[in-house]
This record gives sequence, structure tokens and C-alpha cells, in this order.
Amino acid sequence: MNSSRLEREEYWENEDDVVRGTNDDATISRMSAASLGYIEDPFVHFFVKRPVQRPPIINRGSYLRVMALTDIVQQFLQCSDISHKKQIVSLGAGFDTRYFLLKAGIIPVDSKTQFKYFEIDFPEMTAKKAFTIKRQNKLASMLINPVELSSSDYALIGGDLREWSKIAERLTHHGFQADLPTLFISECVLIYLAPEESQSILDWITANVQNAMFLLYEQILPDDTFGQVMLRNLKSRNIELKGIHAYPTLEAQIQRFKQLNWGGALAVDINTLHDRPSAQNEIKRYAC
Amino acid sequence: MGSSDLDRQIEQLRQCEIITENEVKILCQKAREILAEESNVQKIDAPVTICGDIHGQFYDLKELFKVGGECPDTNYLFMGDFVDRGFYSVETFLLLLALKVRYPDRITLIRGNHESRQITQVYGFYDECLRKYGSVNVWRYCCEVFDHLALSAIIDNKIFCVHGGLSPSVNTIDQIRTIDRKVEVPHDGAMCDLLWSDPDDIEGWGLSPRGAGYLFGGDVVQSFLHNNDLNLIARAHQLVMEGYKLLFNDTIVTVWSAPNYCYRCGNVAAILELNDKLESNYKIFEAAVGVDSRGAGVRKRAPDYFL
Repeated sequence: MNSSRLEREEYWENEDDVVRGTNDDATISRMSAASLGYIEDPFVHFFVKRPVQRPPIINRGSYLRVMALTDIVQQFLQCSDISHKKQIVSLGAGFDTRYFLLKAGIIPVDSKTQFKYFEIDFPEMTAKKAFTIKRQNKLASMLINPVELSSSDYALIGGDLREWSKIAERLTHHGFQADLPTLFISECVLIYLAPEESQSILDWITANVQNAMFLLYEQILPDDTFGQVMLRNLKSRNIELKGIHAYPTLEAQIQRFKQLNWGGALAVDINTLHDRPSAQNEIKRYAC
Repeated sequence: MGSSDLDRQIEQLRQCEIITENEVKILCQKAREILAEESNVQKIDAPVTICGDIHGQFYDLKELFKVGGECPDTNYLFMGDFVDRGFYSVETFLLLLALKVRYPDRITLIRGNHESRQITQVYGFYDECLRKYGSVNVWRYCCEVFDHLALSAIIDNKIFCVHGGLSPSVNTIDQIRTIDRKVEVPHDGAMCDLLWSDPDDIEGWGLSPRGAGYLFGGDVVQSFLHNNDLNLIARAHQLVMEGYKLLFNDTIVTVWSAPNYCYRCGNVAAILELNDKLESNYKIFEAAVGVDSRGAGVRKRAPDYFL
């Protein structure tokens, strides 16, 4: 092999690139689950260049993850006793397609519900996402009056979650209203931040948003054998879950919010979701 | 196929290198001839070393042979689930099969629920064959071998060995002998149950959450042992973090031989050595370590997580 070719192919992946890479991982898993019929997502394939079929254990997990999160998003949007106008802020949204699934009615919500959906990620990510959306008429047509990638009910914001004050400015710029009921979503995002960095985001939400709900999905139990092997395997890919030791259990996750005096906090693990009777019916559908 | 050819193939497979499609075809033919002669309840004489699930974890199988001794020096019984989930189902199964053909009286292979066309198409073996050979012929040859594998084994008429467990349609060993086994694993019935069932802390029989086979309690084990004049049931099929687990006053044992199962679970593995007096000695081992524990080509591919 000649050396110039080697040099071209070798490149330095920094810590942030590794975290951004986890988005591809999650998107490919969602694509795999969608293509095998575990979940319905006709848009995810726009974001996947090279589909990979995941093993059943990952597809099942993806199914449970998507169903659980979708259920909560729906409940939030349907809850009519607060207000018909709501906001969703997806932190580190990556190539998530939930906004489009909502708009297309694949995640059904009451037509009276009005919401604005904000997605935040590294500019490298939002640029790629914006490019893909603009290239696909099917997706772009769902944005009402598209102005760049901000519309009356959608905003794709580039920024670094570690510089939250800048993100907060951008949110306001894109029409975020602190007095509207708002659901914040972190799907394996805060876990990549140092605890003090994720804490400052939660502090800001607590201080500024009057009616907030936070949907957090991330890894726990770093100290049992599965967790130890997981951390070792992820380390071999240079992935570090910076927040896992600060919030290692369901109880620690609950306390994370209770200490900020949030009205209520509930945490369940994926096994509990898996064992629910309603999930068991679905699992029978795809199990063999 | 001369034995020197076969010895060369065994050496190659021991290095985790695949043999040619044509070699697989001949090997599988030969294996089928040998397996066809075996009983549904294959008789084995102690001493023998009993192993549980391997699931394509080739380098951990090599670790197993390091701990338990190489075949044919050690007499082995493998209780199924050779393939799926791990990265090397092809090399794992073909090595065990080549050993079977070379030393038919020193290694016994019985069928697990993963030795099935339907299951291997979902859990990895089919895809691996296609990836490594560019066609599904090798998978087809192997599936024909699966259909010939014995369903169970009995050691010195005292220890009954099966992949999963018992069946409500089976009270005696003789009833197992009458099953027409040379088929794809059915969705229900005695053959399915033997490969799919699990012991559980219940009385009698219960529905299995797996959707195939049954759960069975200590009373069921007790009466099966009594009816058939047996001492113990050895089975595999369920991950045990400690490698092996005795249940119901030591009347049934689960032996699990895939350490760090799926490269994720962090469990140890075990094999059960029985001496000529049928005394038990459990040997525990951990996942292979070192540069090639998962093979050079696979090191880039760490197992998937939800990220």
C-alpha cells in the first residue's frame, strides 16, 4: 500500500466527532427497526447512506425506545388541560424524524394541538440534516413557509449544548416562548456531557421555563457486569459516557430532578417497559 | 475425504480460517452419515465433559478447549446452540463438525433451538454464511446437518442431557426414542419442547415467555428422574452469570459455555466434567483476551448499544 493513500485515509477523530458519530449509530438502528417492520418510520431512510441490519436484540430495544418516547410525546401533546399551544425542544436531536412523523400523522395527535418543534445539535449535524431535508421534497413540503430551516412550527438550531447561553439566545430568536408548556427531550445526549454541563442546562430550564417536562433516555448501571462490559466496549470506540457515574441508577435520575424541586419525577428501565402487557402483545407480533 | 485432508481442515478451522464451500459440502455429507446412525437419545460413556451454548464465540470455544483439554484427549458433549449471535458461527460449527467426523466417538453434538432454518435466518448464522461464502449453500448444507443432530444424550444411563428441558408429552426416555427427528424444529410438540423449555420455580407446567416450549417445576423433574431411574438432568439454553446453576435440590443443572455472552453480558462460562464415577467437577472460564479475542477484522466492530 502506498503511503500517500494511507495518509489521506487516516484522519484524527476528536471527542466531539465521536459523539456526533453516535447519531449515525442510532439512525442506522432506527432504519433497521423500521425496515423490518418493528416501527413505522418512512423518513429515516433519507438519513442513512448505508443501511445495516441490526440483530434482533437491538431491533427490539429500538422498538421499545421509540414506542416509549413516542407515547410520552403524544401524552404531552394531547394533554389539553394546560394549553393547546405547546413546544418541544429536542436536545442533540441528530437525524431524529419525530417532527416529520407528527406532521405526517404517523404519530397521531389531536388536530387542535398546536406545537412548535425545536431541534438543537452541533452545526455540523444541523447542516447535514438541513441539506437532506431540503433535498427531499417530501420532507421540505411539511415545513410551512420554510425560511432556511426555521418555519412557523419547526426550527433546526446549530450550537453546542456546552454553551447553553448561546443556545438559549438562538431558541428565543427562533420564537421559543418561556411561558408555553414545553417538553425537553434528551435521547442519549446529556450522558455525553460532563455532569456540571448537563446540570447547567437543567438549571436554566428550571429557572426560565414556567411549565416544563423533561423526557430523558440514557444508560444507567455502569457498575454491574453488563455495565462494565458496556463501558469497556464503548471505550474501544472512544465513546465516553461522561454522565453515567453521576446518575448511575433510576433513583439517582429521579433525584437529579427532585433536587431542582421539579413537581414529579418517574424513572423506569427498559426491562420494565418490555414486560408491560401492552408491549408483550406487540412483541408477540414480531417475535419468532 | 482422507483423514489427512480432514486433519488439515481441522487445523485451518482451529486458526479461525474457513474451508472451501466444496470442502464444507463433503464434510456435511460425511457428518450426516455419522449423525443419521445416532439415536435420538445418544448413549455416552463417562468420563465426559458437558458444554452448553457456544453461539459462534469461536475464540471463547478455543478457551474452552484450553480449559477442558483438546478433542480427542477429552470426550465432549456439546448441548447445542453452536451458531447465531457471535461473530464466528461458521468457524465454530464447522470446527465442531470436523471434530465429530474425525473423532465420532469422542465428541457428541446434540441439537439446540438455534440449529434451525427459521432461527438462523433471524439471529445471524444465515447472514454470516452469505457474507463469508457469497452464497447460502453453506447455510443449506449446515441446516441439513442440523436435521440429523441427536435430540438428547444419556450418560451411563444416569444423566439425561438436553438443550432446553422436558416436555409434557414425554414421560419416558423411550418416548423420545420414537420421535421422527430428521426435520426442521417444529413449532410445538415433544421435539420442540426438548429444545425450548426452561425449568422454573413453579409446580407442574407453565407457559413459556419464549413462545415455544414450556416452563417446568421441580416436581416435574423429580418424577421424570424417578420414572427413568436417573440422577440428574443437564441442560443449557439459559444464560447463567456464574456459568452453571443447580436447581431443585441438585436434580437439574444449567451449563452455560459462552463467556461474556454476545460480547456484552460480562458473565463467566462453565463446563461440567464427569469422571468415570459420574462425580461432577465444574470448570469456570472467562472470555478470551488478547489482541485477537474477537479477531483482527472484528475489533473495529464493537457490539451495538443504544447510543
